[in-house]
Amino acid sequence: MPKIWVVRGLKKGVLTTGYPNAKPTPEELPGRSQPPMPTPKADWTAGEKGCPTGAIRSGEKKIDLGSCIYCRLCSSAGFAFEEGDEVGALKASLTAGHREPIKQIFGRSLHIMMIDVGSCNACNLEVLSLTNPYYDLSRLGISFTNSPKHADALIVVGALNPAMADVLKRTYESMPEPKLVISVGACAISGGIFRGAEGFVSPVGDAVPVDVMVPGCPPSPVQILEGLLLGAGRLKKEDARP
Amino acid sequence: MSGESGGPGGSRVERRNIEGLGENMQLSSVFQASGLAYALISDTEANKTILSELPPTLGEEFGLLLRGSDAKTGIPLELEAGGTVEGYGVFEFPYGPVSSGVPEAGGFRLLTYGERILKIIPQVNFKKRGVEQRVLGRKPEDALLLIERSAGNFSASYSTCFVTAVENLLGLEVPSKAKWIRAVAIELERIHNHLYAFGRLAEAASQNVAAAQTHALRERVLRLNSKQFGHRYLFGFNSLGGVRRDLPKEECNNLTNEIRLVAREFSGLVEYFLSSRIFLDRLQATAKLPRRDALALGAVGPSARGSGIQWDDRLTYPLEPYEDIYVNLETEPGGDTMARTMVRVREIESSTIALRELLDRMPGDGTEGNTEGHGVGGRTEDFAFCRIESPSGDLIQVAQLDSQGRVSNLQIRPASLVNWLPLARSLEGNVFTDFQFAFESFGLSFADSDR
Repeated sequence: MPKIWVVRGLKKGVLTTGYPNAKPTPEELPGRSQPPMPTPKADWTAGEKGCPTGAIRSGEKKIDLGSCIYCRLCSSAGFAFEEGDEVGALKASLTAGHREPIKQIFGRSLHIMMIDVGSCNACNLEVLSLTNPYYDLSRLGISFTNSPKHADALIVVGALNPAMADVLKRTYESMPEPKLVISVGACAISGGIFRGAEGFVSPVGDAVPVDVMVPGCPPSPVQILEGLLLGAGRLKKEDARP
Repeated sequence: MSGESGGPGGSRVERRNIEGLGENMQLSSVFQASGLAYALISDTEANKTILSELPPTLGEEFGLLLRGSDAKTGIPLELEAGGTVEGYGVFEFPYGPVSSGVPEAGGFRLLTYGERILKIIPQVNFKKRGVEQRVLGRKPEDALLLIERSAGNFSASYSTCFVTAVENLLGLEVPSKAKWIRAVAIELERIHNHLYAFGRLAEAASQNVAAAQTHALRERVLRLNSKQFGHRYLFGFNSLGGVRRDLPKEECNNLTNEIRLVAREFSGLVEYFLSSRIFLDRLQATAKLPRRDALALGAVGPSARGSGIQWDDRLTYPLEPYEDIYVNLETEPGGDTMARTMVRVREIESSTIALRELLDRMPGDGTEGNTEGHGVGGRTEDFAFCRIESPSGDLIQVAQLDSQGRVSNLQIRPASLVNWLPLARSLEGNVFTDFQFAFESFGLSFADSDR
């Protein structure tokens, strides 16, 4: 039988997720992509002491998702629910100083570019996973571009490294207006586990203006997709928790 | 130094001082412990690891390994070997640190003459986070969080390597089942990384159906990871003295079936791939790395096996359970991109077979070892090293603890670091457009080499 790639491709059928029209399935949003939820009897002071990234703030009694690396040590210490318990989906969020979503100018199309400023490669791979048939970014009119000059949105991954600080700034500056910056992963948002390490300068938000934050370590592709749609103003308002 | 220093490799490790490298020997790592400099040498003929004090004859490759570990954060480092290239018509093409072809922060200086590449100088350390410095003074359990985030796609190899070295130092008894589960994670990691490398090659050749289907298979493996180990990239399943996730019998059967389906589908894809002349033309005779160069420059993993070097840590430095299960040593004599790709393709198959055996014969005891009071009276003078075959090759970590059981010395020799020079050498004389194929076939990661 002749080996025709196209036929093989068609035979495979549709694998693509229903998101954003349908809710993500548990497979797309696995337990470890859910933020820890403190139990009613949680001891906040002990929780703060045990948290390796200082994400648990006993003063305000809240968990800073931008710092959380989802290590789940607090679950095994009894502070938070075990993963798999119903805790609700995690949302990407707009930052306090975010710009107007850029939907009006570009219609539904969005060209994105990824820059790595010191990641462990897991976030990079999750961003690249968006192009695989399960998530298929192009069905939403979003595509990767090779140059910052063509990009509407910049996805930043990793803990900002001294060697990359200037590179990030120059990449940002060479993007045309209006532009959008999405910081993906705990390292980009706050430094995560690398806060205080030699190779960490500052959160990405201190170097360039950031519009959307997608917490996680690494966030699953569906969450990154959510962040992209949020930045493009394509999610409903009530979904966009500030 | 007492006589019991060394690693968990048992009789495969020989402690003797050598003068220089023999014919079939490869320098694997250079490290410092307790104020002395040591060298780890792989004897590819006797299949032994030799631990020696650092011989005074420092070759080119010795220097590179040392420079890699001494590198400072924030200062990019150029890995250059061989003579300089200059003259009329030589053009220098800077590539990176922001590029789409290489989705990571890292660069290359490409010296070209017309279409020909004369020389490539990889630039690393754009993303050195300083894991080795950061873990100092921390308890091994806390250090583990950093270690597994050194290289996200090799996290199971990294964490297993570290805990095995530390458990050896502390003399911890680890349940057999925990070790078997670690091996399952490492094999899953190998499969998803090899699938990624293959998918990227297909992408580079614009074989879109092949690329899409391979990446879909990879996504399936990631979802299996997530289901069985709680994390798509296997973070956090390892702990000191055991593992945090149990694999009950029925889940083992499930996993075996799922992986078998993935492997079967992949072999169907490979059959298509092998009949696609367009694809094969890009790989055959591209970026040749002769065995002699591979050995001298320190190539490891599929890159070395693609050049005919018979070395796989799972066989030549076997930890439990690899002594008991069947792993096929996949080598190819060609040394070109095709050979490296075929090594990866066949390793996916052999990993599937190994996984089936691992899951079938999984021992029944618990997964959590007794780590009570392990901090007391640790062997502070001694060090332990461990070698793990990560998807890109041999990963070496050397660990030392202080009297409180905190990490006092950690030196990581990642597989990617030593594979940069073989990549650079293999591309000499090739045309510019072959770069992507060579890069993907070596499976290198800047996160891994910079850590």
